[in-house]
Amino acid sequence: MVDDGKAQEAAVVAPAPRVRRLNIIGRRNLFFALSLLIIIPGILSMWRNGFLLGIDFAGGTEFTVTFAGNPSPAQVQGAVDAENLNGAVIQTSGGGYIVRYPPLNAASQTAVQHDLENRLGPMKVDQILEVGGTIAGETIEFSLLAVVLASVAILALLAWRFHNVPGGWRAGFQFGGSALAALLHDVFILTGIFSILGKVFGLRVGEIDAFFVTAVLTVVGFSVHDTIVVFDRIRENIRVSQRLSFEQVVNLSIMQTAARSIITSFTVVLVLAAIFVSGGETLKGLSLALLIGIISGTYSSIFNAAPLLVVWRRLQPLR
Amino acid sequence: MQLVLSWPIRLAVVAILAFSLFVDGAGYIYRIANHLPLTGSVEGLPPNFGGWQLYFHRGLDLAGGTHIDYELTNFPAGQSRADVQQRTIQVINRRVNALNVSEPEIRGAGSNNDRITVDLAGVNAAQAQKTIGAVSKLVYTKWVPDAKVTAGPEPGFKPALTGLTGDDISAASATIDSTGTSWVVNITFTGSGATKFDNLTRDNVAACPGDSATSAAANCAQRHLAIWLDLTQKDIDNWEDPTFAGKVSSPYDSGCLAAQTPDTVCGKFLTDPVTREEIAGGQAQISGSFTQQSATDLATGINSGSLPVDLVALDVTQVSATLGAESVKLSLAAGLLGLAIVVLFMIIYYRVPGLLASLALLFYAGAVLAIFKAYPVTLTLAGITGFILSVGMAVDANVLIFERFKEEVRAGRTITAAVDAAVRRAWPAIRDSNTSTFITCVILAFVGPSAVKGFAFTLGIGVLASLVSSIVVTHNLLAIVLTAGGLRRPALLGVDRVRAV
Repeated sequence: MVDDGKAQEAAVVAPAPRVRRLNIIGRRNLFFALSLLIIIPGILSMWRNGFLLGIDFAGGTEFTVTFAGNPSPAQVQGAVDAENLNGAVIQTSGGGYIVRYPPLNAASQTAVQHDLENRLGPMKVDQILEVGGTIAGETIEFSLLAVVLASVAILALLAWRFHNVPGGWRAGFQFGGSALAALLHDVFILTGIFSILGKVFGLRVGEIDAFFVTAVLTVVGFSVHDTIVVFDRIRENIRVSQRLSFEQVVNLSIMQTAARSIITSFTVVLVLAAIFVSGGETLKGLSLALLIGIISGTYSSIFNAAPLLVVWRRLQPLR
Repeated sequence: MQLVLSWPIRLAVVAILAFSLFVDGAGYIYRIANHLPLTGSVEGLPPNFGGWQLYFHRGLDLAGGTHIDYELTNFPAGQSRADVQQRTIQVINRRVNALNVSEPEIRGAGSNNDRITVDLAGVNAAQAQKTIGAVSKLVYTKWVPDAKVTAGPEPGFKPALTGLTGDDISAASATIDSTGTSWVVNITFTGSGATKFDNLTRDNVAACPGDSATSAAANCAQRHLAIWLDLTQKDIDNWEDPTFAGKVSSPYDSGCLAAQTPDTVCGKFLTDPVTREEIAGGQAQISGSFTQQSATDLATGINSGSLPVDLVALDVTQVSATLGAESVKLSLAAGLLGLAIVVLFMIIYYRVPGLLASLALLFYAGAVLAIFKAYPVTLTLAGITGFILSVGMAVDANVLIFERFKEEVRAGRTITAAVDAAVRRAWPAIRDSNTSTFITCVILAFVGPSAVKGFAFTLGIGVLASLVSSIVVTHNLLAIVLTAGGLRRPALLGVDRVRAV
């Protein structure tokens, strides 16, 4: 038991001052610039190159196979080229191959398998995916719809939750809008990096499929998660510390919640890193996307969302 | 927040815990004791609580098998689309039965009743598509004399297509006839089918009039009406070849027809009853020396003969069982590793509260897995990822509370007051952030692409359960454990100083 009479004052001052000196709001332009440094190349890449589309979006027929004879990638590509079906070959980390064709009907699927076996020896088919144009189109449509709906719902939720701060609904929309901007920041970072990974570096991990949409939406949820924690603290501090300016309140709130944001993200990052390393081929892209998104989400909630709120408040004063 | 600490709530938590342990554990104990397989459904397995079989329902990407989304096209005019979809599902079900799949799943989907989703464990895509999509057509033939024919049901005669097909039949069923002694198959024709059938039966009876049951002369071949599946004009043209006619006239073989290549000859014959009298009104009865089994088989054959619509495969996924097993292993490893990392981190960083949060996390994991089994949720790879991710999110609420707890302790509150204030002040942030994630999950579960729905579902369940786990379980554990004086040392709580009560 510690009760030496000084407990109260010691406890108030001791742990915090070192951290609290950080002036994030003051250097906001630096942090905005840092974000743009990643977002702008990402947007350029998306605009110029688009994405490396997975089969969910592109449509087609894809075989994941392992050959008993362990042929080289060139041999496999040669055999697939000889079929004249516009097949593409991708090597997987497990020594197998993914062969992708434009959509094939059931009969030609069997024919293609026989043909590959004739050319390259016995093979084991791990997976066949066939996605027709209808489904591919629907997947894109549903994905976009989901992102838009989720964004609108979150904006509405935040505006409603924060309309009771001084300033009413207008303040609520400032909070909601800043959170939405931070959210879009994360979406652009994530999609931009994947566009660059997939198209500029040509990495298979940068391929976007239905799992990627899952990741984007999870990141949307997570990013808002972090932002709400900061905003909630701002709301509380506006009430508690009437003497501080809005900038000071925001900076204080960021400092008070940063530990939590970083710790939470850190644990989730650990879990995701575990999935990325041991989760196997299918989950690599998903876990990488979530890793990028969650790191970006934590960054944006600390360094973008709250500073944006300050900028917005300056442009549109409420008091 | 005081409500959370009340005894009814605590009892409820204990009840949930007991239930989860039972659901998670009891089935395994029973299975081990009775040397039953540890996973999957087992015939007649108790504990079978009101029809539940408690086990993890693995999706096809984990169990291996084929998933196909079909689009239904060419709906027959003037019939309810929902009915047509149901009938198609029944036909597919019967065809799939021939493949001996355990737990085939055939579900209707689509906003306009125009989709059917088929999940078949342990079947490859080619086989599944052949069996389901086989364009079997029920064909009625009459017999015309042909001296060169020596084999088949009516030697000396070869079949001739009548234009009456499965499209003219609306239903067939096996029942016991009015005398109550023998099995018969009742056939109901559609409006146009009834007219065709009426004409056919009139012509047949006219070929050799009399009582077919007593007079052999009145039982001529022309009075018989044979029913086949998939019989084509090309088959009939070969009828003079006795081997060929014999083979085609053997009983209908769905397996052979499904695996048919241009060279194989499969049995296509269903039945060849004599026409007793002219039948108007569209109701016919096939009688004979049927057993219950053979009557049902014939009715099934007639019913499954033709799909009421055309099926177009929109997407097909085939996953081998080995890849599925590999995925299960990998995601289990990832999940356990993730959980271990989180628990370790929480205990090192937050000490006693971290340990309590880890206990709450185990409660959370147990409860969620019990929900997965009891509901049951079909687990896919994406679904498991959603669950693992929700573990990470479950920690968040605890971290919020503990960080707040440290602050309150630093601000000079007593332990009890700090716990209370921490939970109360962290609550709005926890509530709002979880609500936003939950909203995303609900949206995904409704409008997301089908591959994403499983993920949204498990993550959504996880978010709800994590809310209970952090707010109710962690809070209660903190309140109970920290009332004990011995644990209130700063080192154990991860804070610098603690004010005495």
